[in-house]
Amino acid sequence: MKNDSIRPPKWADNLLVLLCKKEIREIIQGDLYEIYLINTNRYGKQKADRLYAKEVLQILRPRLVKKLEGTQKLNNYGMFKNYFKVGIRNILKYKVFSFINVFGLAVAMSVCMLLILMLADQKSYDQFHVKKDRVYRILGMPNGNKPYATVALPLAQTLSEDYPIIEESVSLRSGVGGDASFDQKTVELRGYFTDNAFFRVFDFPFAKGDKKTALSEPNTIVISTEKAYQLFNTENPIGKHVQFDDRGLNVMDFDGDSPPVDWGNYTIVGVIDQQSIKSHLKFDALMSASTLPILYKDSLISDVSNQWDNYWTSFAYTLLKKEASKDDLEKALQEIAKTKYAEIEDLNEYKYMSQELTQINPGILVNNDATFRLPEMAYYILSLLAFVIMVMACLNYTNLSIARSLSRMKEIGVRKVTGATRKNLIFQFLTESIVTVMISMLLAIFILFFTKEAFMGLWANKYLNFELGSSIEVYLVFFLFSLFIGVIAGIYPALFLSKHQPVKALSNDIAGKGKWGLQKVLNVSQFVVSLIFIITSIVIYNQFEHYTKFEYGFDTENIVNIPLQSNEYKMLSNEMKSVAGVTQVSACEYILATGTTNVIDLIDPNSEEKFESLMYLSVDEFFLDNLGLEIIAGKNVPPATSAGSDRYIVINESAVLKLGYARPEGAIGNIWESKSSGKVYEVIGVVENFRASLLVNGDETRPLILANNSSLFNYMNIKIAEGNPMKTISMLEEKWKSIDDTHEFKYAFFDNELANTNLAIFDIVSIIGYISFLAIMISCLGLLGMATYTTERKTKEIGIRKVLGAEELNIVMILSKGFLKLLLIAVIIAVPLSYMLNTLWLDNLSNRVDFGFGTVVLGSFLLLVLGLLTIGSQTIRASRKNPVDLLRYE
Amino acid sequence: MKDTNLGAFEELVLLAVGSLDENAYGVAIKDALEAQSGRSPSIGALHSALYRLEDKGFLSSKEGGATTERGGRRKKYYTLSGTGREALIKAHDLRMAFSQKIPGLNFNID
Repeated sequence: MKNDSIRPPKWADNLLVLLCKKEIREIIQGDLYEIYLINTNRYGKQKADRLYAKEVLQILRPRLVKKLEGTQKLNNYGMFKNYFKVGIRNILKYKVFSFINVFGLAVAMSVCMLLILMLADQKSYDQFHVKKDRVYRILGMPNGNKPYATVALPLAQTLSEDYPIIEESVSLRSGVGGDASFDQKTVELRGYFTDNAFFRVFDFPFAKGDKKTALSEPNTIVISTEKAYQLFNTENPIGKHVQFDDRGLNVMDFDGDSPPVDWGNYTIVGVIDQQSIKSHLKFDALMSASTLPILYKDSLISDVSNQWDNYWTSFAYTLLKKEASKDDLEKALQEIAKTKYAEIEDLNEYKYMSQELTQINPGILVNNDATFRLPEMAYYILSLLAFVIMVMACLNYTNLSIARSLSRMKEIGVRKVTGATRKNLIFQFLTESIVTVMISMLLAIFILFFTKEAFMGLWANKYLNFELGSSIEVYLVFFLFSLFIGVIAGIYPALFLSKHQPVKALSNDIAGKGKWGLQKVLNVSQFVVSLIFIITSIVIYNQFEHYTKFEYGFDTENIVNIPLQSNEYKMLSNEMKSVAGVTQVSACEYILATGTTNVIDLIDPNSEEKFESLMYLSVDEFFLDNLGLEIIAGKNVPPATSAGSDRYIVINESAVLKLGYARPEGAIGNIWESKSSGKVYEVIGVVENFRASLLVNGDETRPLILANNSSLFNYMNIKIAEGNPMKTISMLEEKWKSIDDTHEFKYAFFDNELANTNLAIFDIVSIIGYISFLAIMISCLGLLGMATYTTERKTKEIGIRKVLGAEELNIVMILSKGFLKLLLIAVIIAVPLSYMLNTLWLDNLSNRVDFGFGTVVLGSFLLLVLGLLTIGSQTIRASRKNPVDLLRYE
Repeated sequence: MKDTNLGAFEELVLLAVGSLDENAYGVAIKDALEAQSGRSPSIGALHSALYRLEDKGFLSSKEGGATTERGGRRKKYYTLSGTGREALIKAHDLRMAFSQKIPGLNFNID
């Protein structure tokens, strides 16, 4: 009977094939099949199947079951244990070299890991939005330069109304910035106007309130949990009403405080928990956009809802339908740009760009961004630095491994003779390097704790908000990174060590000379890099010093600047004057040289055509005296007695020239008009030049006019007597509290404020300085390793020389000669390179220091000293040894 | 020193192989055991024992004889080796020696 159609259950068969030893499988299968046929005839297929399966399961016996793919893998496991053991023994045997390797790698890895943490942190922004893959931010480019994050207010609506590919669009109009009060308590709120669509595009978590209806009604507001707690403590804020007074504040913390304007009552309809998420959008409050028409009516805020030429007030975000693509969006945006901007003069070239939500952080730099962020460029530069350090550490490892290869020749010879293939040896040495790197990783994590703290303490972090948390993914990335570095660092030594013929290796007949060239090159390049770092650090530091010691031209010592925060100046100054320790009080519109400016265009009333742009600063009559500025012609600004007292302006020397007068005296009495308002100004005095704009903004002093317009005052300058400034400050605070108890007393020492404007540079100095320090350390470690190794090799030679009468000094010289040559070569190469590199960025700065010869000398000197110290430690030790011991060493 | 201890099942398997002369392969051995003892070992158990016995040197094997009833798969024929015979005799003697010490057990061997 042909029985091809009768087959036992496939799964059982497969299991059999899987489990059973190859040599017995066919036989067993045959037996089972015979029985199966018999069973099928006797009992029918079903029972036969069952019995077959039962039999197969009973094959699960030790004697019959396959070993793990035969015995090959077992052998691998055994060898791996051996490599590991031998590797650890090697590491322990040569503790100095191991330490050099491990420490250098650990330090470099900690820098790389910090960078990984930064990137991970930044990438995690805005990841909590459910529809994030379909959300885009619209950027606008009025001219070809940097794009603006802000666009015209009507854009979002146009998109959702006219384009079916859009599921939702939402505008965020800036302008919410003031005080909200409830039941005697006041908090400052900064945020945006928006509508309910915001919660359909984004998924900010609601602690309280209904996402579906929030912000649809006018005069409603959503606030953050922090602010809610400050106002309402633990009570439920929903449904409560707050009184809002606008103060013209901005989300981005710029100046611009104005007297509070009543905007009415607002109902709280939602509370958003901002602390649990990370987003590029930060706000204390969101006000409903439907409130805007009410505010327009009373001219409380400008109506830009139909103004396409106003592109700096709103943000636009859009959610595409699932089927739509980014190209569809770009096409739609192009159409809109063409139709809306064709008519508008000056903006014919206006273009739109779409930016994926996930690409905002980290991303390109844009104007008017919603938050401070580190631009992409900074990450590239940091990555480059980390890369350089890592390469140096790996080079050290390579260098040292090759240098010590002689000591392992016997082992390699024996292994080869007993049958190791080259692959086996490569694998062995890779295992060793991976083990070394793993130990370094542990050390690196330890170092990372400290560097992380220091990094978070950098000034820039106040604005950048790095929270470098560690998560499982991060550690996994570290682990993979270490594996990768282990392979990279170890591959060359592995290849090198494994290639020698066993006979030669056993008889110690290796010409080490050939590889000496490579090691020299590696060492020299390490020092070149270090020297470039040193010189660059020195230059940056000099530049920083230059900025901080800059002669601004006005007094800053003992002057404290206090923002008025909408209080009335006259009354406040009288109170403050009465505080002990206060010598003088003056007022001004903004703080000089900290980045804020005001400008005005003045026309000569006779010519009508010509106009000049000048800086404008409103000050009171005590300002010039307070800051020690001298009037060189005419009089000071008059006190604010009548409405028109700001007609009389004092101009600085640069303005004299700009307005076309040969001498300061010639300017007095002349009339100029403001181009925008037509207001008439009469020059009443000339003040000496002083620095009013930021130091990075060029060398020359801009022309400036001063006028006494008290409605523009934002700050009070208080000069304090020498002695105990902090005591005076606390008394001032008391006074402040008695006058204004809703706003917190804020103050800043003028010289600190000025120094702070340059803190960004200080951060850069710190970072580059730290990396330079690491680079130098790694280079020195490498040099130390080489020096140790060389002196060890030359012990016999040193012994003989000593016996023949050489002095210790001679020996030191002989040993050091080679290294000195290397250092000198490094200096010769590094100096021109660092000159080129540094002039690149220095040229971009106005107000720069000169790259002096002194810098170069200082840097090279530092390097030489360090190099000599490193070599010296070894050579001096070697030269002191008793020649008997040296010669006995076998 | 060779391990000549035979487990009970192993002994039975050796006996079965011996009784089948030239034709002792998997299924046949299984059938013979079933016929004589009433027990039906699984193929796995049987082959495991055969493998072990061959390792110990009591059996020798040769392969051959693929048939369609086996789907074209070959069989392995086992035969008793000299050592195997010796082991069987020893085992038998051991049992006889013990049983003669037990009063009332009548084995009546001829």
